[in-house]
Amino acid sequence: MQDELFRPTIRERAEPGRPPWRPDSIYYPAFFGGPIAAATLGLINGRRLGLARERLLAIAAAGLVCFAGRVAVSVAVEGSGALRLAGSITGVLVALVVGIFQRRPFRAFVYRGGKPAGLVRPGLLAVLGCGFLEAAVIFGLTR
Amino acid sequence: MTTPAPVLARAQAMLEVGRPQEALAALGTLAADDVLGPAALRLRCAALAQLDRWPEAGEAARVGLSAHGPDSDLLYWLACAEQHAGHPELAERVLLDGLALAPHDTDLLCAYADLCASEGQVEKAKKLIDLAAAQEPDAPLVYATRVKVAYARGEDREAQRISREFVAAYPANPFANALLGGVNAARGEVGAAYASFRRAVAEDPTKGAYAESALDMRIAGHPLMVPLRPIMRFGALKVWLVAIGLIFGLRVLGQPWLSFPVALLWLAYCVYSWVVPPLVRWWVRRHW
Repeated sequence: MQDELFRPTIRERAEPGRPPWRPDSIYYPAFFGGPIAAATLGLINGRRLGLARERLLAIAAAGLVCFAGRVAVSVAVEGSGALRLAGSITGVLVALVVGIFQRRPFRAFVYRGGKPAGLVRPGLLAVLGCGFLEAAVIFGLTR
Repeated sequence: MTTPAPVLARAQAMLEVGRPQEALAALGTLAADDVLGPAALRLRCAALAQLDRWPEAGEAARVGLSAHGPDSDLLYWLACAEQHAGHPELAERVLLDGLALAPHDTDLLCAYADLCASEGQVEKAKKLIDLAAAQEPDAPLVYATRVKVAYARGEDREAQRISREFVAAYPANPFANALLGGVNAARGEVGAAYASFRRAVAEDPTKGAYAESALDMRIAGHPLMVPLRPIMRFGALKVWLVAIGLIFGLRVLGQPWLSFPVALLWLAYCVYSWVVPPLVRWWVRRHW
């Protein structure tokens, strides 16, 4: 067993870019901005954390699937209240996927003594920008 | 010619009570030949490490290794220095060289576990620290590395348990108290974390990081931060699920008129959690 354990497995770390955000904080813009906002922030944070390509693709896929779900709900159900709620729930689902993938890498970042960046301004931008985009697409498709 | 043994013994004693500057001064009195001897260089590395002067510690280790050949202690210090310099791949190679010489050396195993944990390879880190703990379960470095590996694996409760054992075994060890403070903070237990960091500062006033952490806990313990305690304690996901459950549940139960104010309250809470912490931080720092 020791031979297995004493094999080198560490690669030189890639150039550190901007510090990542706390994955837990992504729930806020996800709730208010919807799945596209959550996926966008999740992807940017994933790159900052150096996530593998497959994980980043999975986050993007989750964003698209949840957005499709939101569109489906807004076509099927009348009333803007349900629309809002579907947006929030699908957003939080994407944030959940992001959180699952990013919890350990973020822990490693904090373990190395890193300080996370603040999410307030990018979060607001994501909510306004992506939220507006989603609303436009949904209105275009359903009305 | 005076023998180096008494000077080395004095330097060792100074290190054990946490006075690295005096250890370095004692080593400085050695004759030119002795100051480059393996024992003196090991002590010099340890003293420089206690002072966080890692580039110099790495230099001293390299001097020793090139003069006297492979030595597991010097390889340990060199690996730590390379890790602090941000060269994890090189640090790993040095550690593996050391483990090839001394596969049961607990210091090397702990350093390797720490390195793996900091690179996110937490399963490997666990196996390594388990090996070390099997041999020297009571060594401070083994305790500390067990706490850190549990933390890296996200097992906060386990990390807290081991950390409490560590402090119980070594109550005056500043690092033990600082580690306990860190895991208490990770679990959202602000009061306990503050107490632990205060003790760490009392045991080692020279480490600015302990005082910084104590200040962070003072900020987190501010009365204005009390509404945010559930997030600190249970994590953002659980709090969010409760909020969504309430808002959605009220609609499903046929009370949509109640759902709207709840959603508004939730919005106000979110804004509060964005706006208040920086303000409190600024306020407490002004009056620290």
